[in-house]
Amino acid sequence: MTNIENMIICRCEEVTYGQLLSTANEHKCSARELKLRTRAGMGFCGGRTCRVSIDKMIEHVKPNITPGDIPLKYQPPVRPVTFGTVGEIK
Amino acid sequence: MSRILDHPVFGKIHERELVSFQFDEKTYQAYKDETIAAALLANGVRKLRVHEESGTPRGIYCNIGHCMECRVTVNGQANTRACLTVVEQGMIVESGKQLPNIIKRMVEQR
Repeated sequence: MTNIENMIICRCEEVTYGQLLSTANEHKCSARELKLRTRAGMGFCGGRTCRVSIDKMIEHVKPNITPGDIPLKYQPPVRPVTFGTVGEIK
Repeated sequence: MSRILDHPVFGKIHERELVSFQFDEKTYQAYKDETIAAALLANGVRKLRVHEESGTPRGIYCNIGHCMECRVTVNGQANTRACLTVVEQGMIVESGKQLPNIIKRMVEQR
């Protein structure tokens, strides 16, 4: 990997490792705040690809991470559904 | 059609009925009971869609249905996973297009 900075962590929102790292270091933020600031984990796949790496990154940035820190939430709907399947009146 | 016809582990592909389907106004041939993603890959088509925001080409990633990277529009139904949907005769598949993000552009211009 030539340059780890532009390695894509979140495929759906195209958030790179460099962006995540700089935001995390600059704001000393938790996983949730990092998600809110960079949209990593808010994409179509619902964080399936990048949830773990975002949680792991926080431990690296904030060494005194308390276990009680809330990890990334599973936002419903867990799987993308169309409005038709949810509310269509046949 | 480029397929592994004689796999060292799975053995030979037995001759199967051909089914034709349409992807972006071009007709392709596929084996029966094959997924759209596999059929397109066999026909040399790897780009199933583009990223809605930046337009970068996207295709098969997990191929087991949970990364949603292979979502295409099948017979008018958008966001169906190509890696899970089996090809049927005369299926019309359209690739994902780049979508305009008007609000973001407005915010950027301010």
